[in-house]
Amino acid sequence: MKGLKYHFFVILLFASSTATYAQTAADTSYHAHLKQYNIKEETVVTATRTERKLSNVAIPTKIITQKSIKQAGSMRLSDILQEQSGLFLTSGFGTGVQMQGLNPDYTLIMINGEPLVGRTSGVLDLNRLAVGNIKKIEIVKGPSSSLYGSEAMAGVINIITDQTPNNKLAASLRYGTYNTKDFNCNTTFSKGKFTFSHFLNSYQSDGFSIRPYAVERTVAPIWRLTNQFHTSYQASAKTKIDIDLRYAYEHIQNEIAVTNNGIITYSKGNEYHKDFNLNPVITHLFSNKLKSTLRLYATNYNADQNLNTSGNSIYDDQLNHQFVRVENQTDYYLNDQISFNTGIGYVQEGVKSNRYELNSARRTNNINYVFAQTEIKPIEKLTIIVGFRYDNNQLFAAAFSPKIAAMYKATEHLKFNASIGRGFKAPDFRQLYLNFTNTAAGGYSVFGALEAQKQIDFLQNIGQILSIESDYYKLKELHPEYATGINFGLQYNPNQQIQFDLSFFRNDVENLIDTRLVAYHKSGAQIFSYLNLKNAYTQGIESQMSVKITPQFAVSAGYQYLLTADKDQVKEIEAGRVYTIDASGFARLMRLDEYIGLPNRSKHMANFKLSYENENFFTNLRIIYRSKWAVSDKDGNGLYNSNDGFANAFAQINIAAGKQFSKQFRAQIGCDNIGNYIDMANLPNLAGRTFYTTLSFQFNQKNKK
Amino acid sequence: MAMAIVASSFYACTDNTKSIIDTSNNGSYKVYTLNDVTEVQNLIADTIIGTSAQGQPVGTGHFTFFSLKNRAMVPLTDSATSNWDVAFRGTTILTNAGTSGPGMGGAYMHVGLFADVISFNADSTIRTDAAPVYAIKTGSNKGWYIYDGPNNLVTPIPGRVLMIRGADSKLYKLEINNYYKGGVTPLTTATSAIKLSTQRYYNFRYKAL
Repeated sequence: MKGLKYHFFVILLFASSTATYAQTAADTSYHAHLKQYNIKEETVVTATRTERKLSNVAIPTKIITQKSIKQAGSMRLSDILQEQSGLFLTSGFGTGVQMQGLNPDYTLIMINGEPLVGRTSGVLDLNRLAVGNIKKIEIVKGPSSSLYGSEAMAGVINIITDQTPNNKLAASLRYGTYNTKDFNCNTTFSKGKFTFSHFLNSYQSDGFSIRPYAVERTVAPIWRLTNQFHTSYQASAKTKIDIDLRYAYEHIQNEIAVTNNGIITYSKGNEYHKDFNLNPVITHLFSNKLKSTLRLYATNYNADQNLNTSGNSIYDDQLNHQFVRVENQTDYYLNDQISFNTGIGYVQEGVKSNRYELNSARRTNNINYVFAQTEIKPIEKLTIIVGFRYDNNQLFAAAFSPKIAAMYKATEHLKFNASIGRGFKAPDFRQLYLNFTNTAAGGYSVFGALEAQKQIDFLQNIGQILSIESDYYKLKELHPEYATGINFGLQYNPNQQIQFDLSFFRNDVENLIDTRLVAYHKSGAQIFSYLNLKNAYTQGIESQMSVKITPQFAVSAGYQYLLTADKDQVKEIEAGRVYTIDASGFARLMRLDEYIGLPNRSKHMANFKLSYENENFFTNLRIIYRSKWAVSDKDGNGLYNSNDGFANAFAQINIAAGKQFSKQFRAQIGCDNIGNYIDMANLPNLAGRTFYTTLSFQFNQKNKK
Repeated sequence: MAMAIVASSFYACTDNTKSIIDTSNNGSYKVYTLNDVTEVQNLIADTIIGTSAQGQPVGTGHFTFFSLKNRAMVPLTDSATSNWDVAFRGTTILTNAGTSGPGMGGAYMHVGLFADVISFNADSTIRTDAAPVYAIKTGSNKGWYIYDGPNNLVTPIPGRVLMIRGADSKLYKLEINNYYKGGVTPLTTATSAIKLSTQRYYNFRYKAL
């Protein structure tokens, strides 16, 4: 190594993800045909599944850059997403993200365009993802099932890892409150036609307890390890092979103490999560106009949770989710006015759980799908995208998802865009196959839609059913949940310093799957199953503004206004069939203006960021605000209204500062939640005030020509 | 808890038209009558005294019997008589007929507002108790209350009026407003000790039709 000439590189401050964007020979010649391709400008792939300049994409895409992730001191994906406009992080079954007012179930989370699996009660825990090797995060809001299929109903979050071909070694160590240690190591090496990179992250925390004197931790002690490899081989000027391999491991330790009549019972719990992803991709350029990509993807998520209570049997809960996909995508560039992309794929998916009957058997579903999209520029100022996707599912009804989007560049500084699309979410395995009886809590049962009739009929035959409810007779094949989303907006940038975005969205959701009481056990315990029942809408306004006051000083602010409703509840209120309580606790009619809509949603959300940055120093102040949100049905009428229980509005203030001491050494300090805002019941994942220090080193070797 | 006590004593002091009845062996409940509407507060219904071997909270297992006509509790020894109209134990409510007693009682649940009910046709609507199925259904969202499992709280459903036929076949309308001591439901964040010790206190109003 001594003979090599090192070139020190200031990655963390200056590696604007675009400037270092790696373009393969295949990509370059392909894009040579996209006239005036400006490499300095940010590009996005998620909106159209092809690389586009951000300013040219008809479907608005939000980018979170590597720089802003680093400068916010983020460690996990949840850390950085909570600071974005219009994203509301939920707690319960991990940290999920609510987009355009829709639950975490309806946002597709991808790494390099491939979906992550392993959801608990519909939530994919965003803490599973380390952000130390992310080049950028692309966020597309509004239904995107026309390209991505199930789950892309509220939108898509695509994490793009840094695969810049160079020779470097970068490491950082962060230490903070609650004995939180976060270590990152990025190694990249390229020689000839090969590039190789490795990312290692280890995150360890003692967790914290915001409940005084409690044995159990609000956030339990945890150790997370992520290993990610990427190899690429430029086989020829026209063919490139990429292989991504990721392995993530999590171990959470829980100690629970239950006091009953002064007797304390201690339990020890362990949770293990293992996440494995393998993604080989071959890209071939048949001509300068025709590009084809073959992607293979295999992922396996394993969760094991056990609880050992002294004197009791061990409670063990297991889930294994496997997902294998083969997909081919072909992009054809006809001319400056018309381009096409089309794809075909096959998915085999399976889940094994001891909450299903016959826990040794894997429940499987196969999906065949096809998608096609065309982008047309009839005139210079107008771009139109028309696309659809058809998913043929083995287990439940097929889904057809069309989308139309348009962008009109009125002037160089003002753009309008509009889109209408359909998104869906397939019923998940839990909703189909669950066979779970909670013996610890009264013996109630939940049966998946494909199990319920069979199980209840069986129980009835052996005289174990007390009564059958009317919803039992409504049980049938589950259909996907659908949303029709309309988005329109404008983007205005009068000059280089000011950028203003305004958008309006509305999602009409049909067929929402809900749990319903279908029968009673002989013991009187309830039996639930899943039915397509509810119809809801979410609508709102989102705006974002950023101003560069001086070359060093910048201010940005974002705001979302959100309204939601369950359409059937609105009908009930309008019909005068919904009551609430007066001050004495007795009933009175509820008015429509008292209706809140869906719970756990803030009507107003805002964020504000002030930042200063020069050649070797930066500092920032970030404020996140959420208005109150409904959490409990205090008046007992079964819907959420102004007489119910709310979590208080809150503001969280974070600050960070960093300094580049030499070309290879950098330090950062920060404080999150300066105001020490704590809401134990409603924000269990929000620790009080925390401090941290990060030290980063980077060694770079210039590529030999 | 402090809030609950303040609220109820304030109520008692400011309204001179109301009378207070104390019973020594069943805690103290309060009965007020105003414009033919009788309001009962803190009527205990087998409050929790301990935990079973399985760890479930339990009471003595006895119902609290109440005469709507006499506006007072009826001693336990009169449980097999027609002296009572309704009886409470936990979330279960009995009426004096069928498997529950020798009277001519019964009940049905009306969805609407207390003030709007003027009369009803008892013969076609009233059901009688046939244990374990009661005229007033038990279970969350089945009868008069919902049970919030995660928070362990019982809340009366607003707009549920219990139409009751007394042991002597006199008709009443009855609305329950709270299930906790002092008529104040604990906060969702309250400890389970508070939630257990303050529950099974009936607060309701009724009127003869």
